[in-house]
Amino acid sequence: MPTLDRNLLHRFGLLFVILLVGLGLTFTTDTFLSVANLTNVARQVSINGILAVGVTFVLLTAGVDLSLGSVVALSGVACATFAHPGDHPVVVPIAVGLLTGAACGLVNGILVTRGGVAPFIVTLGMMTVARGLALIVSGGRPVANMSDELTALAGDFYGLPIPVLCFTGVALLAWFFLRHFRLGRHIYAVGGNEHAARASGVPVERVKLFAYGLCGLLTGLAGVVLAARITTGQPNAGQAYELDAIAAVVIGGTSLAGGVGTVTGTLLGVLLIGVINNGLDLQGVSSYYQAVIKGVIIVGAVWLDRRQARS
Amino acid sequence: MRLTPRTAVAAFLAVGALALSAAFLTGCKKAETRKEGEILVGFSSRDLSAEYTAKLSEAIVDYARTKPGVKLVMVDAQSDVQKQFSQVENFIAQKVDAIILNPCELEASTPAVDRIKAAGIPLVLVNQVTKSAGDAYIGSNDFEAGRIAMEAIAKKLDGRGGVLMLHGIMGTSAQLQREAGAKEIFAKYPGLRLVDHQTASWDRAKALAITENWIQAHQGKFSAVFAHNDEMAMGALLALERAGLKKDVTVIGIDAIAQALTAVKEGRLDATVFQDAVGQGKGSVDAALLLAKKQPCPKETMIPFQLITRDNLSQFLK
Repeated sequence: MPTLDRNLLHRFGLLFVILLVGLGLTFTTDTFLSVANLTNVARQVSINGILAVGVTFVLLTAGVDLSLGSVVALSGVACATFAHPGDHPVVVPIAVGLLTGAACGLVNGILVTRGGVAPFIVTLGMMTVARGLALIVSGGRPVANMSDELTALAGDFYGLPIPVLCFTGVALLAWFFLRHFRLGRHIYAVGGNEHAARASGVPVERVKLFAYGLCGLLTGLAGVVLAARITTGQPNAGQAYELDAIAAVVIGGTSLAGGVGTVTGTLLGVLLIGVINNGLDLQGVSSYYQAVIKGVIIVGAVWLDRRQARS
Repeated sequence: MRLTPRTAVAAFLAVGALALSAAFLTGCKKAETRKEGEILVGFSSRDLSAEYTAKLSEAIVDYARTKPGVKLVMVDAQSDVQKQFSQVENFIAQKVDAIILNPCELEASTPAVDRIKAAGIPLVLVNQVTKSAGDAYIGSNDFEAGRIAMEAIAKKLDGRGGVLMLHGIMGTSAQLQREAGAKEIFAKYPGLRLVDHQTASWDRAKALAITENWIQAHQGKFSAVFAHNDEMAMGALLALERAGLKKDVTVIGIDAIAQALTAVKEGRLDATVFQDAVGQGKGSVDAALLLAKKQPCPKETMIPFQLITRDNLSQFLK
């Protein structure tokens, strides 16, 4: 299968860039290559990672989801509202957060499939609606006073940070699902050629609805994890998170036109962005330069990668 | 129920219409029932989701409500300079009697201030200056806040040791002045060293990640973190606590938000600097009313800052 070879090259190309950046950081700082720091990187990428895995599904169907950041804020606020100590058992706020995200995703999905509105517009609308709802629910203020059981979600489980476990779990399940489930293969079919997929009996609408719903659910998870990490539900949290997530997916080789892409690629994209962020802080690079360097490395990585894939 | 495209669009329109009419009912009630002789004041808040600004805005709204014959309309700029500019233009179009502006930024919000002055509407700036002055400024001297916080760190460290500084959004007057105030204290104590500094844009999640990275890069080389606001101080605090390092590091923020006060009470946060939201709020409404009635009003009113530690905390807890 020629596409497989291409994906392999793709992956190695990106891996090469990550190793290069990592190698540079190992020599220029004396802390980058330490267990503690790499754990940090893993912890810091988990939220973007969960979002990126979710939006991979949507991008594979040739859709897009611009509402990620706002839905993160809304889910976080909704979760925090139910997380005051002594109010409810800890599963309630978690479920509220997840369901809030899933509900937003399903609304996106319904409007895209049944309403026939372009995903860009639907999710752009959701972006402002969810942000507004987050401000309404919270009264515009950060929702504080969260129970220790919930904030423990940002802590460790046998020495492993729970956000990282969530991210790895999500990534593994997504990888397995896309490879070995019929619905997973249908997602590729819908993104690759919608007419052909429909003609061969793929329930296109249901597949898309699933992709948006799942993306929403994972966004809800990211919202819960973020709220636990910063011990508040912030209505203004998650600004522009969708851009980092989509950037990671695209760096990882997923085509914005749909049908091509892997979870492994997304994982590498997430890692690259995380390593850059961490490395620039370790180097003490000023915030102004950080933004420029980050942009250049992202575009450079994709360029190098595509060049390799072509040759 | 089966959703066809047509019913979906119909449902969508229905929800939209409902939302619009709700907005119409609540919004227009405010704008259209302006009575004769009533003083209408427009207030644009920088960002209601920032805890200090929310406190300040609440104080302004509450205090205005106690004044008979005064109607205050509040809008939220959500840290967006452009949005605030349009809000200001709307106030001008509504011919409000005075505007209270809590500007988003030092430079970028200046055109909005100039527009108000060109329209001849009395303007009170609160808590953030711009390049052009308003008719009155109510605020607190942020140099003083930076000085108070850094001085407390210097005392705690006996004038020697490494300090990390978390900046607010670069270019806001609070960030510039809090930094400048802190720099004065660095100059006074040659034993204090600025190990690293970075902006976390007033944001807790960003401050948390930066501090985690600093712990890796500079562990053992710093014994204090000065954050330009409490949100970031809370982020730094969480990072240090999770790394088990808090006992070796002093963390001080500014603003005295509720969570910071609780953290001071629990002995987690070393100190915060109290910025008097209620004082600023009352001051700005009073100034707006004086100006609207064409009465003399002081150009500048400074509400003082105070250091809050565990020892004097009880005076500040409501």
